[in-house]
Amino acid sequence: MKGFTTRAIHPAFAVPDVHRPLRTPVYDCVSFELESAEEMEAAFAGRKAVHAYTRITNPTVEDFEQRIKSLTGAFAVAALSSGMAAISTALFSLAGSGDNLVASKFLFGDTYSFLKETLAGLGIEVRFGDPLDPASFERLIDENTRALYLETVSNPLLYVPDLDSFSAIAKRHGVALVVDTTMTPPYLFDSKKFGVDVEVLSATKAISGGATVLGGLIIDYGTYDWGKNRLLAGYAKKFGPFALISKIRKQTGRYLGGCLAPHNAYLLSLGLETLALRLEKACSNALIAAKYLDSHPEVKIVHYPGLEKSPFCELAARQFPRLPGPVVSFELGDKESCFAFINALRVIRRSTNLHDNKSLCIHPASTILAHLSEAERLEAGVTPSCVRLSVGIEEVEDIVNDINQALEPRKIF
Amino acid sequence: MNYTVNGEQRENNGAAVTVDEILARERVQNQDMVAVQYNGEFLNKALFSSTGVKDGDEVEFVYFMGGGQGRT
Repeated sequence: MKGFTTRAIHPAFAVPDVHRPLRTPVYDCVSFELESAEEMEAAFAGRKAVHAYTRITNPTVEDFEQRIKSLTGAFAVAALSSGMAAISTALFSLAGSGDNLVASKFLFGDTYSFLKETLAGLGIEVRFGDPLDPASFERLIDENTRALYLETVSNPLLYVPDLDSFSAIAKRHGVALVVDTTMTPPYLFDSKKFGVDVEVLSATKAISGGATVLGGLIIDYGTYDWGKNRLLAGYAKKFGPFALISKIRKQTGRYLGGCLAPHNAYLLSLGLETLALRLEKACSNALIAAKYLDSHPEVKIVHYPGLEKSPFCELAARQFPRLPGPVVSFELGDKESCFAFINALRVIRRSTNLHDNKSLCIHPASTILAHLSEAERLEAGVTPSCVRLSVGIEEVEDIVNDINQALEPRKIF
Repeated sequence: MNYTVNGEQRENNGAAVTVDEILARERVQNQDMVAVQYNGEFLNKALFSSTGVKDGDEVEFVYFMGGGQGRT
């Protein structure tokens, strides 16, 4: 098989176009004309491989989905409008009232709230386990459990769960393993190798390349027997391993309406072509920044699984052989010290988001996790003294110099 | 022998025909994106070449890129 970037640049799949463009164009239209009433009937029955309406499928979106399929070795891919659209569509496809999910207690804030409030409000119970203790998940599984849900690396403290253990538990109990890989997207993490059944991620982050557009992905590896899931058994009987993708196309994705815009799909496909290059540079910068922070007397703790002293170093090296991503978190003395540091930055930008070309900095407790109670934040290990950096692709000396000058002790008036 | 493919009648007076052969005859596009249903149920790809179509059988090819609702 050719290399990752070669496959990203030269996709095996090409959308037929009369002008034979080297890049699939933006088919920026709502609907497509069909030749006859008979063809329309066949298209609506799914008997003809044509596009009819962009909320369901579109050639530019399909091109992006096929590239992801080629890069990951997946069975089927659905691209949606955002990472949260991917997560919500995937979970609404798998679980309904009376079912339960067993999820990590250290999730991205919006995912945690979606599981705890939105799904719970619809009768889907979410049981939270410790991702660093796989047995805690196993104890929560029962006959109504539809999936285990984890992130490859937690945000913002970068805890790393042992995915081989979770895969073994999922298989032992016949439940699907759903993993959010946003922090370590394809190229950094091989979901197929670690027994992930369904991968979800925000393409907004590393894939978009420069934070241009939003997007999300549901990647089905074809490894789970959907006939075991009561909500998908009917689909599995008719469509076999296509059960999940068929439900997304025919029901959940279709009715929730989180379709990816063709223009956004075009930019995401473009981003894929430089994904490996950008991740190499950003991860290399992150490791240097983490080492520098670790050596600085003002910094109490650095959370980066690529550091040799990290408790996750060995596991991270196995799961993410190219480095565990470009995000580094660290602790200063208190909230005031964090704010003073953030306000003093000159190159690194004060902004939310991850994996932009620009280095970004945020104080998680007062921003992305502000909607959680203090008890919930502390349960997740996030204190007011934590700062999160998403390291970009600038020259690394500029990043380190900016961190250095911003850490200079200064009076707080 | 009469059978249907995607709802249309087909006649076969010669040797027995398999699902594999029907895929070729019908020029089914993008075969990795199509689910084959044999008498209303999903048919695994591994069984295409060994599944012979009998009189009255129904074979359906369902794509997941089309705009349709399908028959779930």
